[in-house]
Amino acid sequence: MTAPALQIRDLHASVGELSILNGVDLDVPAGEVHVLMGPNGSGKSTLCHVLMGKDEYTATGSALVNGAEIMGLSVTDRARAGLFEAFQYPTVIPGVSLDQLTDEMEAAADDGEAFRARVESASDHLGMDRFRDRPVNDGLSGGEKKRSEMYQLAVANPRVAVLDEVDSGLDVDAVREVAELVEELRSPDLGVLLITHYSRILRYMKPDRIHVMVAGKIVRSGGPEVADQLEDEGYDTLRGSDQPDQDDPLLDLL
Amino acid sequence: MIPLDQQAFERAIDGAPSWLVDQRRDGLDHFEKFSMPSEREENWRYVELDFDIRDLAVPDAAGDLADGPGLIADLDAPVGSVRIVDGHVTGIEGGEPATLITTAEAAATLGAVAANHLNTGIAPDTDVFAAAHRAFSTGGAFVHVPARTLVDGPILVDIAATAAGSISFPQLTIVAEQSSEVSVLVRFHSPNGVAITVVPQVEVFGGANANVKLTTIQNWGDETQAFGHQRLVAGADTQLHFAEAGLGGRLSRLHLMVDLEGRGSNAEILGAYFGDRDQVLDYRYFMRHAGPSTSSDMFLKGAVEDQALSVFTGMIRIEEEAQKTNAFQTNRNLILSEGAAAQSVPNLEILANDVRCGHGSTVGPLDPEQRYYLTSRGLTPERADRLQVTGFFNEALSRFPESAVAARVAEAITAKYVAAVEEGRL
Repeated sequence: MTAPALQIRDLHASVGELSILNGVDLDVPAGEVHVLMGPNGSGKSTLCHVLMGKDEYTATGSALVNGAEIMGLSVTDRARAGLFEAFQYPTVIPGVSLDQLTDEMEAAADDGEAFRARVESASDHLGMDRFRDRPVNDGLSGGEKKRSEMYQLAVANPRVAVLDEVDSGLDVDAVREVAELVEELRSPDLGVLLITHYSRILRYMKPDRIHVMVAGKIVRSGGPEVADQLEDEGYDTLRGSDQPDQDDPLLDLL
Repeated sequence: MIPLDQQAFERAIDGAPSWLVDQRRDGLDHFEKFSMPSEREENWRYVELDFDIRDLAVPDAAGDLADGPGLIADLDAPVGSVRIVDGHVTGIEGGEPATLITTAEAAATLGAVAANHLNTGIAPDTDVFAAAHRAFSTGGAFVHVPARTLVDGPILVDIAATAAGSISFPQLTIVAEQSSEVSVLVRFHSPNGVAITVVPQVEVFGGANANVKLTTIQNWGDETQAFGHQRLVAGADTQLHFAEAGLGGRLSRLHLMVDLEGRGSNAEILGAYFGDRDQVLDYRYFMRHAGPSTSSDMFLKGAVEDQALSVFTGMIRIEEEAQKTNAFQTNRNLILSEGAAAQSVPNLEILANDVRCGHGSTVGPLDPEQRYYLTSRGLTPERADRLQVTGFFNEALSRFPESAVAARVAEAITAKYVAAVEEGRL
């Protein structure tokens, strides 16, 4: 069996004294779309940023992209190793057009003609023409920002895509659209981890697996039935049943 | 070289009509009373001058100019061009359908058009430099655009200084009559490594419904200090555009006064400046709304690195009669090294009660969130920062009146930034 596109083992992360991830284990095989759910503050977005290497976190543990360790690498090198993060709140880059950004990505990617071809096909497919000479993420609606993130994803052609709450702040039509775009991303070379707070996006897509994160750990993994259960019962049952006392730091010392 | 005394004055009034002689005499009177400005004066805060103007002398004649037109070379054919070297016009041609002549010719031949405008924009009691300019200037260029005349393409004004230890007083006056249109492009330059002082004076008078664009590329040499005065005056419904790129100079100061006199007039004031090493870039901008329903937008972006200092003080004054006025000023500064500093001081003085005014001022480092986002796309931190700097300036440069020139300025700013990175100054 080949290595998963993304393999996370015993990942811990903290900001200052505050521990946010408490031993995450997760596999996303190539060709699959996984969904990570969890209540606010469970550490979902932190997982994205820790994987991408944002410097405000202190992290330990392992994360392999296509079998290669990325922990300890710079943000740039993680991107070049094949990791892509679609941001929940994409940063505005004033005065820099989307075309300028993709030109820089092209220079960094060093796969010339193939890159150019992806720019043109993704631009056509996502209807990005009218956004390409506008500043990155500046003055875009919520849906347009997500579309721009999906465009950059298609252009970057990563091995692993982590989509941080791509469905937040969108109306129903836009959620459906994003779900369809994620389904279209499916490729034998790509593992997708979609992070969401709400189950509504799952009405429009068919993830291979669903993981639930509570208090910085994966507490449940399974098929679509996990989402149904969450819909019915909320996160509280999972908190109760699946968060044993071992989380108590005192017990860890024993 | 001629010291700044009676002899320099006699030369400046040689052949001048009596009204101009009177103007210069007034300048000399003020010059003799003025002392050098002090940092204690509000208008000179943050910048200390370490010389006395009376130790300097004006060149006898124009020096040889080693370098060519640089940043504004091979642009689309200008309709006219003039070169002023060490305060003397060395070449002047074209300009039609506008009249492009020397200041002396204008004083001699244009009658009231010259007498009503020349030197009326900058008062000799402004400071010692303005007084000295009035007293000792041997002139420069005069652009007269007759009513309803559209000048198709820019007029280039190349202003240079060459003589070590000299001070010169180049001058540019633009009179755009009613419903005319003109774009003037000025380049300031001097060789590196030569201590030179320049006191340029630029006056722009826009008649009713005229559209005047003025772009200045300040690219003085690294031992040049410049103390510029500039006034823009708008009549009814006049559109004024002024953009300055601040690149060179050891110390480059621009004292700008804009007067929106006529009802419905409008001024767009843009700036992009990049101070490196120990450069001082000093902008003192005054926007006066006198007419009702006038509008102005000042938008300046700057960066400083190493030990450089930039100063922007922007004063918007709205007179009692200037109701229904819109006035905004924005000044954003990037501090690229710890030792660099930017002073950004916006001011409002509003005497009318039905106006919309606003100002924004920021001074800070490159944005780490932008760096994170861009590096997550595979860019190196160096390329990410360079792109961020490019975008920062593009917000101002994309609004410059002459886009081909703005592109050159963008390249020049990127080159300064890249040099700073490569030489380890950031």
